[in-house]
Amino acid sequence: MLQGALAGLAAGGLYAVLAVCLTLMSRLVRVVNFSQAATGMFGGFVAVWLVTETGVPIWLGSVLGVLLAGVLSGVIGWIAATWLSEADTTTRSAMTVGPLLLLISLSFILFGNKPQPFASIISGPAFTVGGVVISQVTLVTVSLAIVVAVAVRILLTRTAIGTRLRALSERPTTAELLGIPSKPLSIAVWVVTGVISAIAIVVVAPTQSNDAISLAMLIVPAAAAALLGGFKRLDLAVVGGLVLGVLSGLVAQIDEVSLIRNFLPFLFIVVLLLWTQRKEVWDAAR
Amino acid sequence: MSALIIDDVAVSRGAGPVIQGVSFTLEQGRVTALVGPNGAGKTSLLDGISGVAQISAGTIRIDGTPIEKLSRVARAKQGIVHIEQGRAVFPSLTVRENLSLTARTPAEIDAALARFPELEKRIDAPTALLSGGEQQMVVLARAFAARPRFLLIDEMSLGLAPVVFMRLLPIVSEIAEQGVGVLLVEQFTHLALGLAEEALVVASGQVSFQGPAATLREDASLLHRAYLGGAAA
Repeated sequence: MLQGALAGLAAGGLYAVLAVCLTLMSRLVRVVNFSQAATGMFGGFVAVWLVTETGVPIWLGSVLGVLLAGVLSGVIGWIAATWLSEADTTTRSAMTVGPLLLLISLSFILFGNKPQPFASIISGPAFTVGGVVISQVTLVTVSLAIVVAVAVRILLTRTAIGTRLRALSERPTTAELLGIPSKPLSIAVWVVTGVISAIAIVVVAPTQSNDAISLAMLIVPAAAAALLGGFKRLDLAVVGGLVLGVLSGLVAQIDEVSLIRNFLPFLFIVVLLLWTQRKEVWDAAR
Repeated sequence: MSALIIDDVAVSRGAGPVIQGVSFTLEQGRVTALVGPNGAGKTSLLDGISGVAQISAGTIRIDGTPIEKLSRVARAKQGIVHIEQGRAVFPSLTVRENLSLTARTPAEIDAALARFPELEKRIDAPTALLSGGEQQMVVLARAFAARPRFLLIDEMSLGLAPVVFMRLLPIVSEIAEQGVGVLLVEQFTHLALGLAEEALVVASGQVSFQGPAATLREDASLLHRAYLGGAAA
């Protein structure tokens, strides 16, 4: 059972990385980016195509796929910054459903609806603790989630660019009136989060269901994890992702409840929403 | 000395123009008071100058260069700083972080703080925890650190105790004395006119008086007529 729980940590690391990216996007550019995982999925699929069809080395294909994901994310960010700069969070978030569906459809057209033959960039055990094997993928994804969360926190609290980003997130118009360029900074956030998400997806994709829908819908457990931190706290987003991953691993090991594995993120979301609104009266909550 | 030249400007919101036919020159080193009843279009005019709203007619120039097509960021880089209504602080940022958004060096932060010694002991506190007066000091200090050529101030007194506002008002004069052109929108008309060299009164979206502030200070009936929309330019 412990082995199962720790096996879930690899997926948990991926959820955590995506949750950190979602939290960043929510805090800095006022959007819940439903296409966060889809851009990474599409970049990953292009990487697979490059490797299998054109014969480029795996590392080069992966780098190009990750860069493409960053560009795609940047294009969506450009749309949001150009035409929806004054729109509220709900409108900006709803816009990202369009690219999500577009990228899933495009991947069906270009690559079919079957899982893709991802080659492992990282594989094998990293180390063993008390007879339980920790894989390299687990180590990399969990480390990536923690490193990204810590690096982002340092960036936001210790650097001039971080101060500007926080100012932009709080009062975008006031920040622009002080000469802070919102559009390039916003697009940069989109690009960076797109690249980070794609790296995590390319690393984990060979070890799990990797058809277009499965990868694009990683947004659901990632959103559940980000919800633990209220789309504000990076540390809780990481914890949420890891807990969700471990729970998924545990549930998969128990026959009687293994069916709820696919619904676990939804249960997580429902429980969190009920808990966070437990003290609200009907009118105030809505 | 540079000048911000507003020529036949109109600002529209939704159905039609909120304010129109506004022409005046804001010179560096001088304070111009922009007063008038609520809903006259004062805030819309400031928004049009700084780029928060697009103007629907007219031109805005600095030293002959048109700026009305520029973004608000580009206008800020031209030296226009707009202090919005309310307390336009970034609440989670500390006082120091707020100032660092416009100050280029620590010395410039120190220079801004020198005008507001009250802020020095709160320098590392999030501005959300400051009093209303202290928050408005942060906004003024931040604007000063931006080294503006033209400063647009919208209802600085809003929500402040009169004694706090009276503490801040002389700072506006000091900023102007350093060569900044100040356009001051203020609900306390007599205080704004007491500070300004020039005055504009707008009523019902049009300029009803334009001339020396002293003229309005000395003739209350003229001010009343201008507030009611009587043309007295």
